[in-house]
Amino acid sequence: MSFLEVFQYTKQDSVIHQLDPRSKMVLAITSAAISLMFLNIVPLLIILLCQIPILFLAKSVRRWLRSMKGLSFLLIFIIVFNTLLSTVANPFSYSVALTIRLIALMTSFSIFFLTVHPDELSQAMIQMRIRFEFAFAMSMAMRYVPTLAHEAYSIMDAQKARGVELDKGNLLKRIRNMIPIIVPLIIVSIRRALSVAESMESRAFGVSQNRTYLKRLEFQRRDWIVAFFSIAVLLYLIYFLSFFGLPDWMLWGFSF
Amino acid sequence: MIKIEDIHFKYEGVYTALRGVSIQIDQGERVAIVGTNGAGKTTLVKHMNGLLRPQRGHVFLKDRDTKHMSVAEIARTVGLVFQSPDHQLFLDSVEKEVVFGLRNLGYSAKEAEERCHNTLSRLGLEGFADRSPFTLSGGERKRVALASVLATEPKVLALDEPTIGQDAKQKKLLAELLSEMNDAGCTVVVVTHDIEFVVEFFPRTVAMSGGLIVGDGKTESLLSNEAIIDLSSLSAPQTTLAASALRKKFPEVSNRITSVSDLEEIIVRLVGGL
Repeated sequence: MSFLEVFQYTKQDSVIHQLDPRSKMVLAITSAAISLMFLNIVPLLIILLCQIPILFLAKSVRRWLRSMKGLSFLLIFIIVFNTLLSTVANPFSYSVALTIRLIALMTSFSIFFLTVHPDELSQAMIQMRIRFEFAFAMSMAMRYVPTLAHEAYSIMDAQKARGVELDKGNLLKRIRNMIPIIVPLIIVSIRRALSVAESMESRAFGVSQNRTYLKRLEFQRRDWIVAFFSIAVLLYLIYFLSFFGLPDWMLWGFSF
Repeated sequence: MIKIEDIHFKYEGVYTALRGVSIQIDQGERVAIVGTNGAGKTTLVKHMNGLLRPQRGHVFLKDRDTKHMSVAEIARTVGLVFQSPDHQLFLDSVEKEVVFGLRNLGYSAKEAEERCHNTLSRLGLEGFADRSPFTLSGGERKRVALASVLATEPKVLALDEPTIGQDAKQKKLLAELLSEMNDAGCTVVVVTHDIEFVVEFFPRTVAMSGGLIVGDGKTESLLSNEAIIDLSSLSAPQTTLAASALRKKFPEVSNRITSVSDLEEIIVRLVGGL
């Protein structure tokens, strides 16, 4: 579960944390879009290299590394399976590129989720004219990620005590061993969702249509710069790719 | 049976749960662990079946260090019933749920089924065998979780807050069941806040506070000790409170009274016998 850490807000005093969530949303979406435009190792590595300084600015590199370590099993799995099953010309090269793309995509969104407090996110959504109920649901979902992770650990403990051996056996067995974890997790979550809904209703959630807010977000100069710069890079890359294509050195890949 | 030597455990972060706990529990004992919220009670029982490993110190099970034993291996000897049944129930019938644990521990399908039926009838759950655990009430689910552990007939049975959500009758049934198991040689360890339950059924009590054991001994002397009651944020048993009220008028009343029969004896004596 440690890979979830990278999508979890952490309180830090950094330039990135201070940005308006909307400008960070633009940054995240454009950098994800850019990652999706390429399928070669070199350009994807360059994208990743551009993202790492942002993580540095957000003081979250160590957290990111830890999550990547937690995810390494899945990443290796993707490489192995794609190499074995893919029908493209150079399967290994292709699956390495796919994996880097996945990391770049995750990093794009992790920069957003690491630095945006759930309350800020819902406020940003409300100011983007999304209905309060939806914005609230979104921030609640984010709020419950750590609770869910905690719950998952308790469930694993309970099943281990009944003799389930989670880290033994072949891949198929391990996947089957997840059932005793996932089913209680879903049920506990549904039960909790119902009781949260009841307690919200008993505190008159949704009574007033025009609610006011304590804090309002304001776009500042640095936010305009970030948003403008992200969109400019995206547009430039689209222009460049459609008129010139990638230079030869960027097309490099493994020959197998 | 279980020997714990000076174990320390710290949860990730700053929160320390155990700060040097030693305890020895012999075969056939009945022990209650009481204490404040966050005293480390649950952490301690989780060390007994290997779910948590001491960061310092040792846990011995039948003189064997559990360091190199897997949880599944320990689970054959130490059965742990968790506070929340919802963390373990996942199958679509009570029967399957009970059989699941037995099969994990290596019992044949036939034997597992037999044990399952015996356990269900012992817990008054016969009628529920084919019901889905998710359609049962909280208290019933708790009993299903208990059944799934009882069926494995562990040498040591540890229960975390078994009386929560159970009505008086079920509590009594539970106590009878535990006594029965105990008479058959099973060691019973219970973590609880239910002081009346402790007084009636557990001869030995361990009081915890702030990750330490602050008292360990006979239930009646421990629970009539104000310092320990205070340290572990408990309320004294009703009988002890009644006795201390009596003592204001009759100084000869002992301050060591916890059981109903002792209190009865004193009252009978005070009114001049029957």
